Amino acid sequence: MARLTKLQAALLIGYTLFLLSMFVNIMGTAVVVVFLDSTTAQLEMDLPWLTPEMHHLILLTFANVFWIIHFSFTNTRLINIEENRKLLAFAYPSRNLAWHLNLMSLYHPVNMIYNFTWIVFLGLQINSGINIPVLVCAVILNYGLIYSVKQRFLKLMERRFRLIVGSGLFIFFGVILVIAAITKDPEAILGPLAIQLSEVLNVLYWMPGGILYGAATYNFEPYTAGLMFVLMIACIYSVFLDHYVQTRKGLLNPSFRKVNKNVSSLWLFLKRWLGPNAGKYLYYVAIHPYNKLQLIAILIIPIVYIPILLFMDFGVITQILVLTMLAAIPVALLAMGMANMFGYEHREILLHLQFPISLKQQLQERFLGIITIPIIIFFVITVLEIIYLPQLGTEFGIYIANTFFFLCFMLFFMWSSFYQYQTARYSTFSYKHPIVPQKVTFTISAMIFVLGYGVFVPLESAQTYRLWFMGSLIGVICLYLMINIELLAGAFKKKILLKLWSDY
Amino acid sequence: MKQALSIIELTKSYKSKQVLKKLNLDIPAGTIFGLIGPNGAGKSTLIGCLTGLLQKDGGQIVINGHELNASNELMIKKDVASVLQPPLLFENFTGYEFTTYVCEMYGSADDDLNDKIKSLFTYFEIDEYLYVKVRQLSSGSRKKLAFCTAILTDPKLLFLDEPFESVDVISIGRMKTVIRKLRDQGITVFITSHILEVVENLCDDIAILNEGEILAYLDAKSRRELQKDSNLNEIFENYVNTKGLGDDLLSWM
Repeated sequence: MARLTKLQAALLIGYTLFLLSMFVNIMGTAVVVVFLDSTTAQLEMDLPWLTPEMHHLILLTFANVFWIIHFSFTNTRLINIEENRKLLAFAYPSRNLAWHLNLMSLYHPVNMIYNFTWIVFLGLQINSGINIPVLVCAVILNYGLIYSVKQRFLKLMERRFRLIVGSGLFIFFGVILVIAAITKDPEAILGPLAIQLSEVLNVLYWMPGGILYGAATYNFEPYTAGLMFVLMIACIYSVFLDHYVQTRKGLLNPSFRKVNKNVSSLWLFLKRWLGPNAGKYLYYVAIHPYNKLQLIAILIIPIVYIPILLFMDFGVITQILVLTMLAAIPVALLAMGMANMFGYEHREILLHLQFPISLKQQLQERFLGIITIPIIIFFVITVLEIIYLPQLGTEFGIYIANTFFFLCFMLFFMWSSFYQYQTARYSTFSYKHPIVPQKVTFTISAMIFVLGYGVFVPLESAQTYRLWFMGSLIGVICLYLMINIELLAGAFKKKILLKLWSDY
Repeated sequence: MKQALSIIELTKSYKSKQVLKKLNLDIPAGTIFGLIGPNGAGKSTLIGCLTGLLQKDGGQIVINGHELNASNELMIKKDVASVLQPPLLFENFTGYEFTTYVCEMYGSADDDLNDKIKSLFTYFEIDEYLYVKVRQLSSGSRKKLAFCTAILTDPKLLFLDEPFESVDVISIGRMKTVIRKLRDQGITVFITSHILEVVENLCDDIAILNEGEILAYLDAKSRRELQKDSNLNEIFENYVNTKGLGDDLLSWM
């Protein structure tokens, strides 16, 4: 906190409070739905659709979705064999190293959080004390098996990563959509589905999350529970022994790097379209694995949420959320390319500086290249909003508000590029944003909510004043951006160049 | 004799530490010049200033008769190429994409470029990596790729910072052959290296840099004089090891 400016500290506090309120909201809902007994009379009155079968369906869906998320995001690079192999040169015994690396992975906060959540969730579902040792063993075995699969099939996982995460997101948002639809009109939707529910439950019981749920809720006979316990202990021993053996093997045998021959048609297309400079930069942005993931999120979130919001029709809240979400799409695309303009190439830019082409020209070309696609998307969305969602506001109002929203972020990203440079890392399995610093991502989230509310909240008689205010600020921001485009090269030499030179 | 590079009273500091102290140096055109110095002597900083990547604090840099400043910068850069340590490459490009891109930027991409790339890459045995992403290359191959690309930009002045580091013996021999051919064509080659034997055999003129100052400039004639009684290693040690640190410090071993 001491290193933050007052504004950054205020933003951080505001954002933390916002997250806290969101967290309390979500947890409250989860507690009500997941932990309450669906058979109580009060609940039957308040939520008549929450029958015992429905309650099971929600619990099993939660368990399976959580398992998919656990599987997708368990970090398999924690062992980092390539780096830790160096310890062998300092006489670290390979047996100890393999054992300690596996322990470190188990105790990593991320893995602890997942396993602890499983134990808490399943612990609250148990029927009797006899389920406790079985469910603890099941959770540990589950962790061991996920780790085994991901370590052994890492390459396959990376190739299929987008598919897996995409499926997970679809299931997650699908559940939200179903719950929203049921809440809106439970009778019409649940009536025809009631007969099929038991079949769905049967399938969900045999999926990984369902099996874990079963370990906590099944009424075991004592000898069955004892047998299960012994069997799982044996499995856990075998799996962890396998981890140890494989880790040691990996430490002692450096991996062979496969050399792939490939020529990119995307690069050729971008070069032809935007020129070598902007084309190269956009190519780097486009092929970054994290951006591919972000692109999926940018597509999925509005596709799922906007129909739900329009369908539920929360009045003003729907209006603000839909407009903010749509305005955030081009902003998110802009953030990918502009929030850290020098992080993708870092030291490579030093070679660009040696070319007999002025730095000013190179930076301007890049800037124009980055904003091309977001601006196209911005116009398409604004036009579609005006045509298909006229209930959200007047044509002029939507246009001015979207432009203001977009330009505010453009200004912020330009600032962030020059003052918050960091080397972009190449990892999809990352919790921290690998491209832009955390304080920038915090500020982006806070800005989306603050600006979304400030710009799109309906103001009856004051709307004209707000339009004038935004219009004037648009003029000021445009002028500022134009002046700063001229100063891009100077700012680069002042703020970035020395960092790049010493960034080995 | 025409100077390819003149450095006059060049100074550069990082915060309070002065790395280059009013440095003066003249390098004749068409020579292979070697700059040697211990770690931290200021060699890379000097190359950074000469290639325009670091802003000098004071002094003048004159390249091929033109002072390096904002108005001349682009004209000078057209005739200058460099291979830094570690080499600057485009990690997400293939070797071929990288070389053609750089040549296009320098305006040296003529009709024969593909043939030149093929023959040069084959000579340095990196032709099998033409369509492999740069990030997958070994450090030696990266160095050779940067070297080949720098040559293909048709420079008049070539800066090579530690060009032989991580490169195999056969390729070092081939690099030396190419460097001599460039010198014969009138191109000036500025090399920094820790490998004194290579510098001794390859370079026409040698300068010793220590703590941001040129301690000695040895042209062919003065080297002949000095090397009657001692080799370059001993000369270097005489200039640089002023503290007289010796094996007695290791008496405990």
